[in-house]
Amino acid sequence: MFAARRLLLSCKQGANQAASFLRGRRIQSSNYSQSTRQGTTHGRTDLNPLPVGTAQTYSRSRARYAAPALALGFTGFLAFLHYNDERRAVPKGQPSSSNSSGCGCGSNTTVRGPIIGGPFTLMSTQNKIVTEKDLRNKWVLLYFGYSFSPDVGPEQLKMISRVVDKLESNHDKKILPVFVTLDPVRDTPSHLHAYLKEFDDRILGLTGSASAMRHMAQEYRVYFKKVQEDGDDYLVDTSHNMYLLNPKMEVVRCFGVEYNPDDLSQEVLKEVTSASQ
Amino acid sequence: MVLDAYASANPNLVHEDVLQKSRDACYKARDAFYTCLEKESGKKPTEIASVGLLYPKECSLSRTEFVKSCRSSWVKHFDREYCRNKRVQRLLDDGDERKGPMSLPQPYTFKPSPST
Repeated sequence: MFAARRLLLSCKQGANQAASFLRGRRIQSSNYSQSTRQGTTHGRTDLNPLPVGTAQTYSRSRARYAAPALALGFTGFLAFLHYNDERRAVPKGQPSSSNSSGCGCGSNTTVRGPIIGGPFTLMSTQNKIVTEKDLRNKWVLLYFGYSFSPDVGPEQLKMISRVVDKLESNHDKKILPVFVTLDPVRDTPSHLHAYLKEFDDRILGLTGSASAMRHMAQEYRVYFKKVQEDGDDYLVDTSHNMYLLNPKMEVVRCFGVEYNPDDLSQEVLKEVTSASQ
Repeated sequence: MVLDAYASANPNLVHEDVLQKSRDACYKARDAFYTCLEKESGKKPTEIASVGLLYPKECSLSRTEFVKSCRSSWVKHFDREYCRNKRVQRLLDDGDERKGPMSLPQPYTFKPSPST
């Protein structure tokens, strides 16, 4: 009975101390000294209410700051998300002006797709630096592949050379075929030159450092990944993107592996003639 | 910036085994091996090719020829393609056997047990 009353007293005194001094350690020490003076006969039992008392007062002052702090943190988090979204936003193409509205939609839609393409700096098979400015004012058939491809790569290259031949001989339209390698470590300029020479002399082969190639692949939204790695012997899993660029360096069409040479030349011709009108 | 990738490797190295001639040789050996597989499809496949493909002992000669003419990653790639095509063919062919209505069990009546 007497012990209970003393416990209550010590608790109240502790609370009073905390209310008057709002900062931590001084309260703690004074409370401890108080309780030890009072609780010498009862030893440990008096120390028990002390943490509870201080905890109560601490939680009360903390509760006052908790709600606005949480609200502020939440708004800060939302602001960060918004900023991040703006930073990562992909610029969309203009629907108004011309036919080029994005990839694969043809020339009749006004759907705004992301702008595919951008500046790049790569090295040609003649060891010359090639940038996007060199592709200006020409119709370009751009293909991303690699020379160690077992079947799809050679087929696509054969198709490209056949299309370029057809357009040049039958319709007198000059298209520049460009081959960008996704495997620059193995596709050195001289190797690429020897490889592309067997298909067509007109194909411009581009290679370079791995970072430059990755930058261009990102700009042109090309997927590529090394698979089946066995030391130096690996394949590159890729989406085999083939883009048709108009003289203003805009991507007007993209072609996948399902096209055969006749259809491909038909589509390219359609784009070229419609744009020149 | 563009030239730093070639500091280590030999920049004038031309890999002969992806050029036209070796590619054609590889394709020929591959076709020979797969036709052998088709021909001997009745025999039990005992030898292990790669990526889960098995082939009978009769085709081991064409198999060694195939592996010799092509890069190992290409061999695995072609084997995987072959398995995929076989699986698709099997699915397309099996469909014919299961067409038509299923024969349901005839309704039967319970005969009351003679004890009750």
